[in-house]
Parts: sequence; structure tokens; C-alpha cells
Amino acid sequence: MIELQEVTKTFPGSGTPAVKGVSLQVKSGEICALVGPSGCGKTTILRMINRLVEPSSGSLFIDDQDIMKVNPDHLRRGIGYVIQQIGLLPHRTVEENVALVPRLLKWPEGRIKERVEELLEKVGLDTDEVRKKYPYQLSGGQMQRIGVARALAVDPPVMLMDEPFGAVDPIVRLRLQDEFLKLQQSFKKTICFVTHDMNEAMKMGDKIAIMNGGFLVQHGTPREILAQPANSFVEDLVGEDRGVKLLDLVRVEALMLPREAGTANGRSVQALDSAKKALEVMLEHNVDGVTVCREKQVVGILTWETIKTYVHQAGSEAGG
Amino acid sequence: MSVLLFMINYFHRILEYTVNHFTLVLTVMILSMVLWFSVGVLISRYEMLAGAVLGLGNILFCIPSISLFGLFMTIPQLGLGRRSAVLALVLYAMMPLVRNVYRGIKSVDPRVVEAGQGMGLSSWQLLWQIQVPMAWPVIFAGIRITVVMITGIATVATFIGERNLGRLIHHGITRSNSDMILAGALIVSVVALCLDMLMGLLEKKLVSPGLRYQQRE
Repeated sequence: MIELQEVTKTFPGSGTPAVKGVSLQVKSGEICALVGPSGCGKTTILRMINRLVEPSSGSLFIDDQDIMKVNPDHLRRGIGYVIQQIGLLPHRTVEENVALVPRLLKWPEGRIKERVEELLEKVGLDTDEVRKKYPYQLSGGQMQRIGVARALAVDPPVMLMDEPFGAVDPIVRLRLQDEFLKLQQSFKKTICFVTHDMNEAMKMGDKIAIMNGGFLVQHGTPREILAQPANSFVEDLVGEDRGVKLLDLVRVEALMLPREAGTANGRSVQALDSAKKALEVMLEHNVDGVTVCREKQVVGILTWETIKTYVHQAGSEAGG
Repeated sequence: MSVLLFMINYFHRILEYTVNHFTLVLTVMILSMVLWFSVGVLISRYEMLAGAVLGLGNILFCIPSISLFGLFMTIPQLGLGRRSAVLALVLYAMMPLVRNVYRGIKSVDPRVVEAGQGMGLSSWQLLWQIQVPMAWPVIFAGIRITVVMITGIATVATFIGERNLGRLIHHGITRSNSDMILAGALIVSVVALCLDMLMGLLEKKLVSPGLRYQQRE
């Protein structure tokens, strides 16, 4: 668990604080997406959690441990840190980059080698193909994957991600997001995820923390934020199409009616797809329902009726 | 042709001068690299020293070499010969070496350093695992300029008793013997090129292939 209590940061030489009295809790196993315009203080918050920036006042805890009482280098080795692609060390090979923190912690070489192979495979890379390469020889997507692998190297319970998928094209970004969410399902890390993209925040965050001008404006689940925006700033940030967005952030598995395993007939979607995707399949093929599969296994059914009811309910919540 | 004849006729003396020249420069380079590398690293970490140290390097570099050799010669502990020569040349090497070490470290992308910091590298580890390895290309540019420069200036040390290739040039001038001057100049160039190549090999060993690409860009 990550906890911030009344944290304020004023940078030297600056009149106004970058972060003003922010209190925030990220529960274990949850992703908290920090979102807001540039200069809103979201990155500063992230960097206070691993003490790259020291708070001016307030306290920060990781699993009830006051981080100001921990040696910063030791603290950082226990926190996965993913930043844009520049974060890879250009003079080190992929293998050496991933092995960075295990080496700092003096793992035996055999174990490091195994771990590197395991991680590269987990993030979807061909170990033999990339391990000896240098960052300049990689594509943007590969760099981001290696950034994630490096952060996961010593299996830290807490991860900080600063626009980790920011520097790749939209298609690759979507794929990386999906892959990461899939990993997170098994890893259950406690994650702070900074982004300026509200759609990314909606997709990645179990909770979303919206920042503006150093203040925490609203903190809640994506659904809460869509249903009850705290003020006009949040409304603007969320955009006009709140109803469709709601569908985009609910997974098919959450709405579907469970069904005995059988063979997939007709149109099907994956359990982890968004309800919006299921709606699109229905519209495209002019059908009233789709089969829901997990990999190849049929696990349920999602009907047009269910979707309609869900949107209506959420809409009336938003209205009230 | 006559230059070649001259070299063959005086082979043993020329060999002695060449060996002396080579060892003098090599001694100076080894001492300078250790000393000025450390100073360069130091001022990159203690910024307030940087201005003064780099200024001192510039001033030393501007003193005519012949006067510096002469000055050290008059100090009893140094006297004629190698000690004065080494000291003076090491001081000449200060400017290009310290400056390039300092610049090299300072030119490392701060975002990469910060990424390392975020991974939990201590400030000492940041220096050795990120800043210095990434600064090698710039540092070696300085080293290779220095080695050629020092080989040239070392000829002047002949005036304070060094029996090196400068002596061929000096005696050639006093005797108006162009073959002698040419022989001296040619061999000095060859020594400089050899040392430069030696440093090139070291550079190849130390600079990561991941950075060589960036240099070409």
C-alpha cells in the first residue's frame, strides 16, 4: 500500500507549490492512475514516492513504513520504476539493463541469467534475439517492454510508471497496455501510473486521481469519475462521450451472464475485452448477443439487453 | 633519400633517442591520465571548484613550454633531466584532459542519470556505471589530442638534458643539417601516430558499442 498524507512540495525558487496538501491511498494490488495537464504535479508526486524529490511537508508511507526513514538507494531498489524509453542505459545491452537491479542486490550470476530470460519472455520478447542488443537497435515498443521487464526484475511489490507507453505510436500503445494489464492480473503489483491521457487513465487505473494546479481534484474509480465528476474541470477532462466511455472501461466478464462451457458459435469476444468492443461486434454483425470466451474456452454470453441496461443505469447515476 | 641514409648511419643514436622520447611521453600520459582524470571527476562533482581548476589549466597551457622547462630546471629537487620534463609535460596535459573529462561527464543526458538513480544506484555507482562509461568518447577525444600534443612538446625537453628526438632537431638547426631535422621530425610524427593508435585500441576496448553508434549519428 502507498499512502500520502498532506504532502506538499515547493521547489526552491518557486513561489507556488507544485503539489499542495495531497492525501492519497493506493491499495495493495491496485493501479492508481495519476492524470492531469502538464505541470499539475502528477510526476512530482510519483517522484516523491521514490524520493527523487523530497517533500516540503507531509509524510509518505509504503506498507506503513515511513519512507523518509529508509535509505533512498535501498528504497528505490525495492520499487519498480518505468519511464519513457530514454530510461534504458544506452551503453548497456538489453540483458545488462534488465540485470541492473539484481546486480545491485548482488544476486548470483546464474540466478540473474535465469531471471532475465524469464522476464524477457514474460514481456513478449524473443530472448535470443534481443539480449545482446543495445537500446539503439530496438524499436520503441521493444524499449518500453524492456523498461517494464527491468522494473519487474527483483519482483518489487510497488511500481511507479511515468508515462511508460508515451513514446510509442497509438497501435503499439494499445497493445502494450493490454499486455501490461494481463501481466498485472497475475502480478498484482501496487502501481502508481502517471499519464496525461484520460483514456489511458480510464483503461489502466483501478482508481484515478485527477490533479490540477497541484491539488488532488478527484480520486475514485473510473466509473465514479464518469458518473459523478467533481467539478467542471473533471467534466472537461473526461469529455462529452461519458456513456460510451463507461462501456469502454467495463470488461465483458463483468457484465456477461455465466454459461456452461460449450463450443463458441456465432460471434465471440474475449472475457477481458471491453463491453464497447462487444457492442461493436454486435453492431457490425447485426446480432443481439455474443459468446464470451477466455482464450478458447466459452465462459458466458453478453446480450444487447444487458449492455443497454448498464448504460442506462450509469447514465441516470450521472444525471443524478 | 639522404634522410634515410642519415637514419641508417646513425641508427643506434636515433634508436636511443626514440626510445627515450617514447618512454617520456608514455610516463607523462600514464601519470596525466590518472591524475587529471581524477581531478576532472572531482570537479564534475564539486562544481564550485570547476571554474578555478579549469582556469588554472588554461593558464598553464599558455606558458611557453621552453620557459616552463627552464624554470623547473632551476629548482634543485628537479634539476636537469627527466623529472623536470615529466612535471612540465604533465602540467601541459592538464587543460585538454581535465576539460574533456569534466565536459564528458557533464554532457551525459541527465535523464539517463536520473533513470539510474531511480533504479537505486548510489551516487558512486552512478558515476562508475553511467556517467564515466557514457563520457568515454569525449574523454578519449581529449586523450588522443593530448598524446599527439605531448609528443610534440617533448622535443623541447632536449634543452634541459633529455636525450630524445628533439635533440636531432635542435642539432640539425644549429648545424643547418636538413636531413637531421627531417629525420627528427619524421620520427616524432611516427611516435605520435603509434601512441595515438595505442590510445585508439584502449578506446575501442572501453567505449561501449551502444555509444559508438550515437557518435556516428
